[in-house]
Formats: sequence, C-alpha cells, structure tokens
Amino acid sequence: MSCSNLAPMWASSANPPHLDRFSPIAFFSALRLPSAGASTRRFRSATTISCGLRELRNRIDSVKNTQKITEAMKLVAAAKVRRAQEAVVNSRPFSETLVEVLYSLNERLQTEDVDVPLTRVRPVRKVALLVVTSDRGLCGGFNNGIIKKAEQRIAELSALGIAYTVISVGKKGGTYFQRRPYIPVDRFLEAGNLPTTKKAQAIADEVFSLFVSEEVDKVELLYTRFVSLVKSDPVIQTLLPLSPKGEICDANGVCVDAAEDEFFRLTTKEGKLTVERETVRIPTPSFSPIMEFEQDPVQILDALLPLYLNSQILRALQESLASEVSARMAAMSNATDNAVELKRTLAISYNRERQAKITGEILEIIAGADALS
Amino acid sequence: MTLNLCVLTPNRIIWDSEVKEIILSTNSGQIGVLPNHAPIATAVDIGLLRIRLNNDQWLTVALMGGFARIGNNEITILGNDAEISTDIDPQEAQQALEIAEANLSGAEGKRQAIEANLALRRARTRVEAVNVISYTS
Repeated sequence: MSCSNLAPMWASSANPPHLDRFSPIAFFSALRLPSAGASTRRFRSATTISCGLRELRNRIDSVKNTQKITEAMKLVAAAKVRRAQEAVVNSRPFSETLVEVLYSLNERLQTEDVDVPLTRVRPVRKVALLVVTSDRGLCGGFNNGIIKKAEQRIAELSALGIAYTVISVGKKGGTYFQRRPYIPVDRFLEAGNLPTTKKAQAIADEVFSLFVSEEVDKVELLYTRFVSLVKSDPVIQTLLPLSPKGEICDANGVCVDAAEDEFFRLTTKEGKLTVERETVRIPTPSFSPIMEFEQDPVQILDALLPLYLNSQILRALQESLASEVSARMAAMSNATDNAVELKRTLAISYNRERQAKITGEILEIIAGADALS
Repeated sequence: MTLNLCVLTPNRIIWDSEVKEIILSTNSGQIGVLPNHAPIATAVDIGLLRIRLNNDQWLTVALMGGFARIGNNEITILGNDAEISTDIDPQEAQQALEIAEANLSGAEGKRQAIEANLALRRARTRVEAVNVISYTS
C-alpha cells in the first residue's frame, strides 16, 4: 500500500462537504483508490511527506536535533558579535595615537619632499587584491558577497588591461580560487578564529614585500564592512600606496580623512540589539615645538607607515569577522525557524498517519466481528 | 617623579602604568629614558624593551618595531606587536627561530629575502627576550 497517497487522500476527503469525515464508508473508498489519489495531491504544504510512522518519527527526531544545533550556533554567534565589537574598541587607542602622530609629523614635513617606499605612486601595471573571506561556512551570503565583489573588480581590471594577483585570506576564498586556476593566486592564508596582530603582521609582511619589491604597483583590500546586524557591505579600499597623511582611499580614489575614525558599537534600542556606527573626529594636537626627532623625520615616517598598514589590515579583519558572525547569526536564526515549521508539518502528518492506522484497525475488528456474527 | 609608560599594539594595550626607567632599542642605537627626559620622537627597531618597575625589578618586552614618543614624563610606544617575556614559551620561540633561519637560507628572490629577514629578526628578538638574565639593582 503506497502510504504517500493516503495523506493527500485524507486531506482531500476533508474538503468535500458531502463526505462525512468519520463515516467508515468514505474512508474505505479512500483506502480502495490508492492510484487515483496520486494525481490529487491537494495537500496543504507542497512537500511530499514520506510514509511510515517510524520514518516520520525518525525525521521528527532529526529535525529536533538540527534545531538544537542551529539555535546553539545562533547564540554563539550573538556572543561573538559582542566580542568582535570589544576587539574593535580595544584597537582604538592604538589607531588614535597613530593618527595623532602622523598628523603632527606631516605638519613638520610639509615643506620636505617625502619619499618613503610605502607611499611611492607608480604607474599601475599589476594590482594585488587582498580578499578576506571566512574559514567556516553556514554564514548565509557573506562569502558570496565578497567573492562576487572580487570577481567584479577582476573583470574591471582585465577590461583596463591591468594584470592582477589575489591574496586570499580564509578557507572559503581559498577553495573558491583553487577551483579556478585561471585566476592567479599569490598566497592562501587562513583567517583563524580571532584576528591577532601576528596574523595581521603576516598578511602585512606579504603585502609589504610584494609592493616594495615592485612586483605589484597597487594593493587593494576587499573586505566586508559591518553596517548593522542584518546588513554588511563588501567594500574595496586601496591599501598601498599609502598617502603620507594617512588618508583611506577606496578604489575610485575617494579618500576619507584618517582622523575621522568610524567604528561600530553594539547597543540596545527599544529592547532590541542594534548596531550604531559612529564617526569620531580624532583630536590631532601638534607636537610640542621642542620635540626633537631622534632620527630623520623621513625615517620616522618610514617606521610609522608599516604600523598604519598593520592597523588597517587588522581593522579590516575585525570588521570582516563581525560581518561573518552576524551573517551566521541571521542564517542560523532562519534555519531554526524553518526547523520549527518543518517539525510542525511533520508532527501533523505523523498524527494523521497514526489516527489513520488506528481507525483502520478498528474497522478491521468491526468487519471481522461482523463476519463472524 | 615617575614615568608613565603606555605600550600599544593594534589589537590591545600591552602596558599602561608607571615605571622608573626604560631602555629602548631604536634604529640609531639603544637609549635609556629616565624621568624628566627631553621630549623626543623616535622610530623603534625590532628589539627588546627593558622596563624597570617601581620595585627595581626589570621586565623585558619583545617589541617588533614601531614608534616611540617621549615627552613630559609620558612615554607612548606604538608597536607592531609586543610580547612580555613571561608570556613567551621558550620552546616555541626556539622552534620559530629555527624555522625562520631555514626559511632565510631557502629564500629566493628579493621579495622572499625581505620577508625571511623580517621573520628572522622577530624570532631572534623573542628568543632573546626569554633568555635575558634579569638582574636587580
């Protein structure tokens, strides 16, 4: 007996008003027409529920387990967003002091010609794209977004006839680019759980050596900016050459002053968790006029700019992590809701099956008793 | 009069309290800073930062380059990375040094040589930080 047809028959028999639902005759006629029921699949949900009480019960159990896992993942991700925010807050003293120093130094150096390797602007023949993805999946459209942006940029660069190479950070980006051997990849790096200075340093070393040895003339950073708990934005930023003033420029040359630090903050508004982005103008007092430079100001700038590079890369990694974790939170929340819905549907059809089975047994008993009497 | 020392790295504050004296490795040699030092700004090399605490004990920090600003009894050091010697595992630091040396000898081309050199200097600094003999004066 093909049980998959019973369920739709049972549902469709509920609809026509002339058939009394509890009349055994109606049910018998339903039992006798298994093949005709296949075409009338007027079941409420569009899914085909497989037959068999045991299978249904197994399915309900597995959905329940999956729901527990996705809910746990959602809570873990929510905790991680808070940690990511704390990491950004912890990195602020460094970047604030750095910007102060950069500004004061630039004031002193205004008349001089600054030629530091990291700021050298060359005609662009080759561009390095630093793409930041995640190590783990189950984060919704996060990795897709940034990879699509990377592909877009690659297409733009190819159209302009500029060669490119990719430095991929994160396992997901790694697997994507590995499957596409036509995209030259320089190095695969892993993102890890928490962005540390060591990791940022490793990436900075790579980028630094590529740029200084003149293998590439421009380095662009592609990461996902954390806008809010539900929205994140893949952006492209020009990492190298640095502007001596410490401006942050994006691929189109639109520059933002480094003294305007933008950072995100988790707060609660009306009892719900939200993210606010604040732009803070860092006060930039100049050096006291008697401040002596132990070395040549240009040498000092030479020492400062790698610091700036490191902090930029670290900030990008942190924001990327925050976006990844909030995307995972949203995806797992959706998954949990879907699991609840699926469990409900399965439970309903399980109960129907169970009742149908009981009714069938009762009818058999009645028929048997009838035959005997 | 004590100095207020602040050691910052991109992801956290390593040190933020008062000290008696520090010895810093700069590109132009080592400099010692006592209270009421003249205000200077200097680039810091990959090397050791020795801190003399208020109880006359010396603490060593492996500093991976950066910048230092000294003025008005306030010292601010911005470092690429900094590790207090007590946080460094000697075995791991030694292994890292050996790996860095191997990488340097196997480096081809200008670019790899630059990277390998930097990595070697850092590994060496970490090992030195662990091995330094602490003395009390």
